[in-house]
Amino acid sequence: MKIFGATKLAETVIQTELCSGCGACIDLCPYFRSYRGKTAYLFPCTREEGRCFAYCPKVEVDPDGLSRFLFAKPYDGHPLGNWRSIHVARAGARVKRQPFQSGGTVSALMYFSLRSGCIRGAILTGRKGLLPVPQLVTRPAGVWRHSLSKYTAAPTLAALNRAIAAGHEALGVVATPCQATAIAQMRMNPLQNRSFRDHTALVIGLFCTWALDFRKFEAFLAERVPLKDIVKIDIPPPPASVLEVYLQEEKREFPLDEIRLLVPDTCGYCLDMTSEFADVSVGVLEGHPELNTLIVRTERGEEIVREAQRQEYIILDDMPVENREHLEWAAGNKKQRGLRRCMETGRLNGEAGTACLRLTGEVTDRILKNGRNGKESPCHT
Amino acid sequence: MSDVKLAKDPYNVIITGVGGQGNVLVARLLGGMLAKKGFLVAIGETFGASQRGGSVMSHLRISRLAVASPQIPRGRADVIVSLEPAEALRVLALYGNPGTMLLTNSHPIYPVGVIKGELVYPPVAEMEAAITQILPTAYFIDATARALALGNSILVNIVMLGALGRLNVVPFNREDFQEAIALRLATGQLAINLKAFDEGYGMV
Amino acid sequence: MSYLIDEGKNASHLLMGNEAIVRGALEAGINVAAGYPGTPSSEIIECFSQVAKERNLYVEWSTNEKVAVEVAAAASFAGLRSLCVMKQNGVNVASDFLLHLASSGTRGGMILVTCDDPGALSSVNEGESRLFAQLLEIPLLEPGDFQEAKDIIPWAFDLSEKIRNIVMVRSVTRLSHASGNVHFGPLPTRVAKAEFRNSGPLLDPETGPMIAMIVGAPEAQHGPQQEKMKRAAEIFETCPFNTYTGPATPELLIITSSACSLYSQEAVSILGLGERVGILKLATTWPLPQRLLKKHLAATPKILFVEEVAPTLEDHVKVVAAESGAEIGVKTFFGKKSGHLPSLGELNPDLVLMALSRIFAVPYEGAPADFSAAVKALAARYAPPRGMTFCPGCPHRASYWSINNALKLDGRGGFVCGDIGCYVMGTMAAGFNTCKTLHAMGSGSGIASGFGKLKQFGVDQPVLSVCGDSTFFHAAMPALANAIHQRSPFTMLLMDNRGTAMTGFQPHPGSPTNVLGEATPALDMEKICRAMGAKVEVSDPFDLEKTRQKLNHLMEYADGAKVLILRRACALSPERRGKKEYEVTVDESRCRGEDCGCNRICTRIFGCPGLIWDGEKKVSRIDEIICVGCGVCADICPAGAILRKEVA
Ligand SMILES: Cc1cc2nc3c(=O)[nH]c(=O)nc-3n(C[C@H](O)[C@H](O)[C@H](O)COP(=O)(O)OP(=O)(O)OC[C@H]3O[C@@H](n4cnc5c(N)ncnc54)[C@H](O)[C@@H]3O)c2cc1C
Ligand code: SF4
Ligand code: SF4
Ligand code: SF4
Ligand code: SF4
Repeated sequence: MKIFGATKLAETVIQTELCSGCGACIDLCPYFRSYRGKTAYLFPCTREEGRCFAYCPKVEVDPDGLSRFLFAKPYDGHPLGNWRSIHVARAGARVKRQPFQSGGTVSALMYFSLRSGCIRGAILTGRKGLLPVPQLVTRPAGVWRHSLSKYTAAPTLAALNRAIAAGHEALGVVATPCQATAIAQMRMNPLQNRSFRDHTALVIGLFCTWALDFRKFEAFLAERVPLKDIVKIDIPPPPASVLEVYLQEEKREFPLDEIRLLVPDTCGYCLDMTSEFADVSVGVLEGHPELNTLIVRTERGEEIVREAQRQEYIILDDMPVENREHLEWAAGNKKQRGLRRCMETGRLNGEAGTACLRLTGEVTDRILKNGRNGKESPCHT
Repeated sequence: MSDVKLAKDPYNVIITGVGGQGNVLVARLLGGMLAKKGFLVAIGETFGASQRGGSVMSHLRISRLAVASPQIPRGRADVIVSLEPAEALRVLALYGNPGTMLLTNSHPIYPVGVIKGELVYPPVAEMEAAITQILPTAYFIDATARALALGNSILVNIVMLGALGRLNVVPFNREDFQEAIALRLATGQLAINLKAFDEGYGMV
Repeated sequence: MSYLIDEGKNASHLLMGNEAIVRGALEAGINVAAGYPGTPSSEIIECFSQVAKERNLYVEWSTNEKVAVEVAAAASFAGLRSLCVMKQNGVNVASDFLLHLASSGTRGGMILVTCDDPGALSSVNEGESRLFAQLLEIPLLEPGDFQEAKDIIPWAFDLSEKIRNIVMVRSVTRLSHASGNVHFGPLPTRVAKAEFRNSGPLLDPETGPMIAMIVGAPEAQHGPQQEKMKRAAEIFETCPFNTYTGPATPELLIITSSACSLYSQEAVSILGLGERVGILKLATTWPLPQRLLKKHLAATPKILFVEEVAPTLEDHVKVVAAESGAEIGVKTFFGKKSGHLPSLGELNPDLVLMALSRIFAVPYEGAPADFSAAVKALAARYAPPRGMTFCPGCPHRASYWSINNALKLDGRGGFVCGDIGCYVMGTMAAGFNTCKTLHAMGSGSGIASGFGKLKQFGVDQPVLSVCGDSTFFHAAMPALANAIHQRSPFTMLLMDNRGTAMTGFQPHPGSPTNVLGEATPALDMEKICRAMGAKVEVSDPFDLEKTRQKLNHLMEYADGAKVLILRRACALSPERRGKKEYEVTVDESRCRGEDCGCNRICTRIFGCPGLIWDGEKKVSRIDEIICVGCGVCADICPAGAILRKEVA
């Protein structure tokens, strides 16, 4: 797979609105910057190869390479990717603080990891007003200020790049699927830099069907609610099909059909619902807004989860079979939709430097068979 | 009126350099000295927007007969004094002939294109060797280094003027310079300017 | 004491054309001078100001050219001698009032000096002011050398008083900004006493009110105005500045004016054509002296016109020739129309040499062709071209940096409407190609006001304009007023670098001193904009991040017209010149150079001449001779490799 430079990245990803604003190309150098959820290319960089291009999860992604690197297994197109175990999870007795988005598993794992020294810094995404603001957190108590989901694209990885440049090590990151893909690509040292070291110690991936366009979402809400009164935003698991906005005193609901209009194009090209290239992945358990689904994928993820459970930071339960089947069904649907989109636009195995991803014919066929008619599942997950 | 003979009439001198180097001052000082001696002088200057780091050039025409046009015709410069080597070459290409005498500072000022790395400024020594092959009288001196040694790069123009004085082709001398500079500068600056002139005088 | 008021007998000095004009005006007993700066005209007001005390003059830099003419006109109405001065573009600005002034006429002698810039050496166009003389129906004089630049001024004042109308004197860069020996005449001793008489009958030229038009009765003023032009034409027949050199019946007659007459003389002399070619140098180029022309046309079969920019002599002499065809016969004409001379750009001796060599089929070469070719080859190899850029430490570079970043971050395809000043380089790489329109003074803001109202047609990206402090007062205030009143959501970037920097720091209404250095009330742009109803922010352009933030914020949230004042003195300004704020160095061990992570953004993009790329060591470094120590580059370096230490 050939790696190109920033100008190619700008042409194929930023100018075509394929950019998810993940932040992987930001703060590596002065050329890319994030503003209100969007990544901007400020000045032309003439390098023929760059980390920006190499890290970007929207161009030239090789799932098979990533899978072999992370799991020592080929990529087979399974709806949930590679995994070791799947659980129902929530924050344990040692966690007193609130609020969480659902079960609090993510914050609890990060809190535990920082306290226990498994990680020495956490890259989390807080918010300023409605705007998601990523930050490096080094004190365990700081985790709580960053809980809750921000449903718009966030340049989380810019904070990771900054932390690495500042010399931080053993970092934990909470990432959406595209971000988790980018981190996996970073960890592969794609430019074969001799002084490279892996600075991540734990990547918690979030489940994600889509993340909204910040400008559009802000404008949408600004017309309907006082922005400064927003306390929490939630998309409860099906059959709700609404976006809930918790204000100081009341709760407002907006139909998901209206909200979907604010989804950026780029999410339609995404094949990954469960952050397949993270160490562990967390989502909402269907039918149980107060519980999480937890997928353990890597060995280092497994160790931390086990330890966190032992020390009562999280509580694990078995995953009911219907839930898992439904999750696979939903994830398979997203995969198939994304793949179709890539195929229609020539971005599957496209010309060098312009392809979203590269898959063998065999895997392609399997994904297309797994999904069901490309319809979005009736529920959020 | 002085009885110095001009090698030609009009005698054509070009002072060139980069905006901010003070070549306009050199042309005016020279013009003033010569007018004082009774010569008819015309000076044409290119400045304005080109002052901002661009090429700057003054045409000085000295005559006993008439005030000439402020632009020297192509190929007719008798002397080219340049405060910057690339400018010397650029002017020589348009206004020089095999009999032109060239006196240039050898310290380059890089054009933006070079600063940006889009263009290359070849070593001045190479340029010097190439020029001396086709031009019999060419002098390269590091006036900038000398000016810096005197404490201020801005003196480079006066160092060059001193060197021109030594070459004895334009009718002026140290006393003329002293008188002319006294009219323009505060007394505190005279000594250092005279020193710069003398340093230049000794460089060729 | 300035040599400009040297009263010595037989005094002679080496003067710039602009200085010669000033001396001429002093010899003519000028009282009032007003102008607006613009290369190549600016030295004229500056020279007047240097002798204002000794010569009891009133001198001002006016807010714009139209006001300058109005100020000078008041002096004329009061019976004083006055002069207004501007570059060619300024005449466009002043033309509205000039048209009316030409109709009302003047009292004390009044001259409009315009300095044209053929070749646009320091202008955004090579406009031609001579055509205005025709439009305005006023006499036009063009001095042909330095002595004449002085001598023609008193003559012009006399003419103005004879015909009671304004007289235009046109110089060009190669006169205004060139120098030659000038012999001085005596300075007058009379003491001026002025009075504006206005109680007489309506149309009385001596005592009536000065009024431009009687509605529906053109004969009342247009009639007398045309009479004035007839008188001028008559006087021009014997004008001492129209000269002829050459044989009685030349094979070719060159008709020329201004600096072109010097090029013509030189070309004729170099080719040794003095016996065959005659040169008619006209100083009175509108209205043309018909009889004089006829006489010279009759004596030759061929005519070559040598003039810059518009072929005005060429066109009008041809009319004369056509009208007198029966008497003088059929002629062959050479000039711009025949292609013997270029239709644009400035002329020089070489172009005239080439035209003559073509017409007479005599070969000419300035230097041996093989020599020229050899040196040109060397120049191509060793002399990389010198592009224009902002000075080291210029606030505009920093401003455009932030503007570019704010626009790119904003991401909605916003753009800047440019304006006139050093910041025209916003259209080039020096200003990161930020400006997408560029026209006249103040037009950027007017155009931006218009763009702001195109939303209903789908043009809905953010619109910005840049505008200098001097330009703000000159012509941008009406545009801003318009935008505010029409609720046009544009953002004006008022680049306040404390003076009219492009032309040499002339004061403007926002300055605390006037042209004489006396304290004057400085108009506060911030308060003005606020009072006009704009949302106003102020930022130091050297604070890159704050400036960027403020601009993004203005573009994002505030509606209606907004103003961001970017305040920082020009690097060449008296207050900053020669003063280093920081000692700046590059820590080579930290410099990332061309590596991924920087790719030398300082030298490759930011492009301050104080920074150079060391291609051998592969690091950027500071050129201590050029760097003025503003410290801005330290903030763009991603590696913290550029270090700045405050200079105590
Ligand atoms: C954009 C988005 C879309 C999602 N879509 C789904 C979905 O379709 N199905 C599903 O089951 N779950 C989805 N989730 C995940 C879900 O909302 C919860 O984040 C998850 O269940 C963890 O719950 P928790 O209580 O453990 O989280 P908490 O303990 O509250 O912690 C939330 C963590 O998420 C991080 N975070 C918040 N916003 C962002 C962001 N924009 N980018 C990166 N990190 C962020 C914070 O740093 C924090 O660490 C989505 C989350 C996001 C941010
Ligand atoms: S190639 Fe490297 S320096 Fe250039 S934009 Fe990409 S990350 Fe930045
Ligand atoms: S790396 Fe992320 S932010 Fe950068 S272009 Fe790719 S998707 Fe956009
Ligand atoms: S910006 Fe800094 S790191 Fe980059 S080339 Fe310049 S000095 Fe070096
Ligand atoms: S400090 Fe930097 S930006 Fe300022 S003049 Fe010096 S090199 Fe240029």
